[in-house]
Amino acid sequence: MNLSDLLRRWRALTHKAEMDQELDEEMRFHLERDVEQNIRDGMTPEDARYAALRSFGGVDQSKEECRSARGVGLIDNVVRDISYSVRVLFKSYAFTIVVILTLALGIGANTAIFSFANGILLRPLPYPESDRLAVIDEIAVNEGGNSMGVAYPNFLDWREQNTVFEGMASHFGTGRFAMTAGGTPSEIRGSRVTCGLFEVLHVSPILGRTFSIDEDRPEEDAVVILGYDLWQRSFGGNPNVIGQKVIISSRPRTIIGVMPRGFRFPEVSELWVPLAVTSKMYTRTDHGLETIARLKDGVTIAQAQTEMKNIAARIYEQNPVTNEGLDVTVTSLRENLSGSYHDGLLILLGVVGFVLLVACVNVANLMLARATARQKEFALRAALGASRWRIMRQLLIESMLLAIAGGALGFVLSIWALHLLLTAIPIDLPFWMNFNLDLRVLGFTLAITLLTGLIFGAVPALQTSRVDLNDTLKEGGRGNSGVRSRARSLLVVSEIAMSLVLLVGAGLMVQSFLRLRRVNIGLNPKNVLTATLVLPRAKYTQDEQRAAFFKQLTERVRTLPGVEEASATGTLPLGGNNWGRSLTVEGYPVAPVGQAPSVQHTVVTPGYFRTMGITLLTGRDFNDADTKDSQNVTIIDERLARQYWPNQSPLGKRVRFGPPEDNEPWFTIVGVVSAVRHQRMQEETRPSVYLPHQKIPVGGLTLVARTSVNPHDFIGAVRREVAQLDPDLPVSEVATMEEVVAESIWQPRLYAMLFAVFAGGALLLAVIGIYGVMAFLVQTRTHEIGVRMALGATARDVFRLIVGRGMKLTAVGVMIGVGGAIALTRLMHSLLFNTSATDPFTFILISVLLSLAAFFACYIPARRAAKVDPLVALRYE
Amino acid sequence: MSKQLADLYKQGTLELLILRLLSSGNLNGWDIMQRIQLVSGEVLSVTPGALYPALHRLEARGLISASWGPSDNNRKAKFYGLTARGRKQLDTQRKQWEQFSAAVALILRDA
Repeated sequence: MNLSDLLRRWRALTHKAEMDQELDEEMRFHLERDVEQNIRDGMTPEDARYAALRSFGGVDQSKEECRSARGVGLIDNVVRDISYSVRVLFKSYAFTIVVILTLALGIGANTAIFSFANGILLRPLPYPESDRLAVIDEIAVNEGGNSMGVAYPNFLDWREQNTVFEGMASHFGTGRFAMTAGGTPSEIRGSRVTCGLFEVLHVSPILGRTFSIDEDRPEEDAVVILGYDLWQRSFGGNPNVIGQKVIISSRPRTIIGVMPRGFRFPEVSELWVPLAVTSKMYTRTDHGLETIARLKDGVTIAQAQTEMKNIAARIYEQNPVTNEGLDVTVTSLRENLSGSYHDGLLILLGVVGFVLLVACVNVANLMLARATARQKEFALRAALGASRWRIMRQLLIESMLLAIAGGALGFVLSIWALHLLLTAIPIDLPFWMNFNLDLRVLGFTLAITLLTGLIFGAVPALQTSRVDLNDTLKEGGRGNSGVRSRARSLLVVSEIAMSLVLLVGAGLMVQSFLRLRRVNIGLNPKNVLTATLVLPRAKYTQDEQRAAFFKQLTERVRTLPGVEEASATGTLPLGGNNWGRSLTVEGYPVAPVGQAPSVQHTVVTPGYFRTMGITLLTGRDFNDADTKDSQNVTIIDERLARQYWPNQSPLGKRVRFGPPEDNEPWFTIVGVVSAVRHQRMQEETRPSVYLPHQKIPVGGLTLVARTSVNPHDFIGAVRREVAQLDPDLPVSEVATMEEVVAESIWQPRLYAMLFAVFAGGALLLAVIGIYGVMAFLVQTRTHEIGVRMALGATARDVFRLIVGRGMKLTAVGVMIGVGGAIALTRLMHSLLFNTSATDPFTFILISVLLSLAAFFACYIPARRAAKVDPLVALRYE
Repeated sequence: MSKQLADLYKQGTLELLILRLLSSGNLNGWDIMQRIQLVSGEVLSVTPGALYPALHRLEARGLISASWGPSDNNRKAKFYGLTARGRKQLDTQRKQWEQFSAAVALILRDA
């Protein structure tokens, strides 16, 4: 195409009206010459005019051909089709609004869930070259590969011996630090980390420096690095902050660096202090560190895994006792962080995809019905020279316009829906999750919008363009309604099938969640207030100080009016913290550390079982007489009792904890309590043992108080009691026990909720779809129904005919849906609790419910059909 | 006009005829129609429905150009004329047609 060509096309496009006028004039000139000629040949003017027109043929068709000959036809026509479509859609605004809303809901749900999944599964982690970051962990082989965390000496050996990593560092996860700046203590999320962590992450401080290797030694670790937000909040962004002293958990530390804006690691940490431990303090049997490393360029996870296994084998040869039964795993940081969300998110994406398909089917149904009503319009256009392709294109353009409008509205809805979704998540979202809008989400929305338009637009476009012109233009032509109603029936069947799959999925999820909620976790969470306190070691150096603090605090809280009982525990059930220790039972063979049974090791103050509603089955509770110097006593749970002393009382028997070779002191069992699900509501994990806080006076405990009324009313009072004992001590994680329990199952709850919402939407769409098809059927067959009634069919027969047809479609849809559900719900297996993916009860219940809904959808059109007056029906048309 | 001749028109013969008629001067659509009928001794005729799209196609391809001017009955009419490219095209097509018809004639006579 050369320049003059382009210019001409441009002119044709911009001067369309002018060129059309020229075309008119050219044709008129021709006709007038013909007329003149005819008159000269002796015709009357009137005859001459007729003859000229007759010999010319179709004037409009010729014009149309001339226009397309000008070569600007395509763009020109598309522009005209679009403006025509807009006018048509505006005119039938009820239809347009219904379609756009349906699509907006479908596309909005998809975009929202995709944004959610994108933030967790797809977006690059907020660290440079994050695909090279890996997490190394130690696992206990005989406990089914349970993560143990890393032991410090093992970490040191790995760091020294490996050749696959550019760097390696460890940390203790996210902890709580009290920082006193300007009088009030505030609690900061921070981490204890080894030197080299920031280098592994490829992040440099904006002020000062990172930790040196010397600062990994306990005597030189009085330094701290601040996160950007913390620096802004507490120091006003003062650039002279480097070198200043600050009190962190009652210990003075020198600020040596400030990290860049937006950087947090791990999870939400924004304050870092040296880990500063030695291999003497943390031996090869003290696991619990988290190790992160950066792969050298070009090294794969699999290669690193192989090398780490070799190193671990070497360490085991030199340390057979401590490293027995251990294995090492290397996973990408991405997988490590998002692994637990992966299955659920993929299934949710599938679910919303189904919802969108159902929405598409519904819209396709509406379009078909509308296309039927517009048959004459299309036939007329075809008669005036529009090609089959032109009519198809017109319909596709209408579909695309609807899809784009739906997509745009859906996109706006999705922003709101995502916000709603995120507020339904009760936990602090880890820093690496980022749900801001990005190009990937925009691209996804655009792609599904166009795809949607094609899907629901293709069927009516193909159907309509097949219209037989003659047939349709003849009065009352019903030639194609048979074909079309078959297409619509197919759509309804697929709609019912898809809704059934979704409903079964939702039914399983909801049932699973309800079963999960009914699980007896072994305590009574009603009316219990919990609050966590961590005594800084620098201030509470002595065991006695810590023991005394909590003894005083629980006594003070207990005397508050309305408080029935108060105590404290080292690990709140379902609170997310656990302390597992090896168990050795007197009289049983001693197992090496990797193979020793692990128990949940919980430190509590007297009255804990009463406070939490845990049943004391036999023996006694701890009391104030169980002090540092008295006999070592412990209370075990019924599961441990059954396991070791099935036929006798465990009272008076002795156990000890920690690595067997450490020869820790023996503890005498003085009581047995009912079992509590400490880690997960879903399953019983390791059995529990309880020890008196006076004996093991750890600094961090969760205060629990049973109240006679709403526990929220006591938050202020509890804070006051704490402040009276130590005004610098922050109180954190204040929540009722019911909230803690609910929070521990937020994922199943969220999934059940989303499933139910989406499946409900699909059901609604399916019912509307069936109703639409049945109503359409009744309308187009009014004549036939009239004939039937005239020939003696009763209203009942007609009613049965219509309902029978609807229910036949439903039955086919349900059957296909059950097959599909059996195939697809298996994928949900990992999300279900105590519920089989092919639970027959759910399948039957949902099938019946869906059939009932379908019946009611058929009922109204069937009633209308039964009321048809044969006289009116036969006169009509 | 017979069916075969109509097919010939479709295959571009009509365009060749238009180019040839325009090579001797500018004409409007009606004139072209009359000439085809007249010159061919009433054997060939063309309908407006075929002629005008062909004219617009040729114009779109830059083989002919159009201008408005007075007709012999003193009315404003659209006149078409050959462009340089159109002249070249006429020469090529004409040669091809002569070769083709000579070949056909040869076969009809001698075969």
